[in-house]
Amino acid sequence: MNKNIQVRTGHLQAEELEALAMPGDHKLPARSSAHAADCDRCQRDVEELQTLHALLQALTPLQPVVGFSDRVMQRVRLPLPWRVRVLQAVRRHQVATAAAFAGAAAAVGVGLTWIARYPELTPMTIAAFLVQRSTALMWSGVMEVGRFVYGSGVLETAQGVAGQVTPVSAFVAVATVTLIGLASFRILLSLMEIDPALVTSHLRLRRRVRG
Amino acid sequence: MNYKEHSDQDLVRLCLKSDERAARELVERFERPVFSLVYRMVRDRELAEDLTQEVFVRTFNNLERYDRSYKFSSWLFKIAYNLTVDYLRKKQVKTISMHGSPDAVTPERQEATSLSLESDEESPDAMVEARELAGYLEDAIAQLRPEYRTAILLRHVEGRPYEEISDIMGVPLGTVKTYIFRARRELRDLLEDRWDDGDDE
Repeated sequence: MNKNIQVRTGHLQAEELEALAMPGDHKLPARSSAHAADCDRCQRDVEELQTLHALLQALTPLQPVVGFSDRVMQRVRLPLPWRVRVLQAVRRHQVATAAAFAGAAAAVGVGLTWIARYPELTPMTIAAFLVQRSTALMWSGVMEVGRFVYGSGVLETAQGVAGQVTPVSAFVAVATVTLIGLASFRILLSLMEIDPALVTSHLRLRRRVRG
Repeated sequence: MNYKEHSDQDLVRLCLKSDERAARELVERFERPVFSLVYRMVRDRELAEDLTQEVFVRTFNNLERYDRSYKFSSWLFKIAYNLTVDYLRKKQVKTISMHGSPDAVTPERQEATSLSLESDEESPDAMVEARELAGYLEDAIAQLRPEYRTAILLRHVEGRPYEEISDIMGVPLGTVKTYIFRARRELRDLLEDRWDDGDDE
């Protein structure tokens, strides 16, 4: 279809009225401008919006009292660089910091003394020992978990439950888990003093930025 | 360093490095629009100053949580809107006239809470007329629901796009359009007499 012969039937929408009444915001298609020129109702709507916009634009910007920014600055706590924060924490907790340093120094001292008693130990053998111990520890942990699951009868219980699952019970289970999850999330947000509305608006903004 | 030439985002970056002059520049840059919005919501000068101060304090004290993909001014207005609406909800503040808070029992208190209007007009008659018209408009705005008031002020006075207003107010885009449409219609109705006078002239 040739676009030139399309005829606009409805009146102008809010965005189109704004484009005519508040220039500089949007570009208006030629068809809409042509309609506005011929339609009394739309012309009246544009004029009304122009008047209202001009009146609101003419409202005097209000100014707080002189010295307002000084009062604000007295109450503002700007974020500090991490080095300053560490130093402040050290100053605040001098005894704890001294104890931590002493403990760390003692541990290093004991370790070095122990190594000195065994001249055959090199950095490589110590590293190999640590890797071996940590791997063994990890595997023993996995084995313990497996042993616990097998011995506790959880598998048998799960098999028994699976045999009795119906669509309704599955739905109830999923709904319950979801509700508990959402409630936990809300509790977590309130503990962290985060407004849930901020989370939703943040997610919406992220979607918009990605979209 | 000339802070006036820096963008909002640059100033925020400097604030995160504890640069107080950058913070002061941001306060001076936004104190008028934020105060204007808050004042037009609560219609009490002292209260508006306290709330505006709280807005800036909360903004800077939570600056590390600020998401830089967001415009700084939107974040600031969002905090201002949430704080003011929370206050209005808690205190059930009445809609009041531009001539001062209804709680003002003495002339001094009335003066302290009233709105001072300025005008650049030179002629005294024109000045009186402009003050009168601005007074009617301020009173009409004060009669709108807080949500309508915020939406129409952000759109027409601050010139914010619909999407940004939606983020500031935390409501869907369609709701913002409805708020603005209804606010315009209500203002038109509230100013009907003045409007008709204007048409006659």
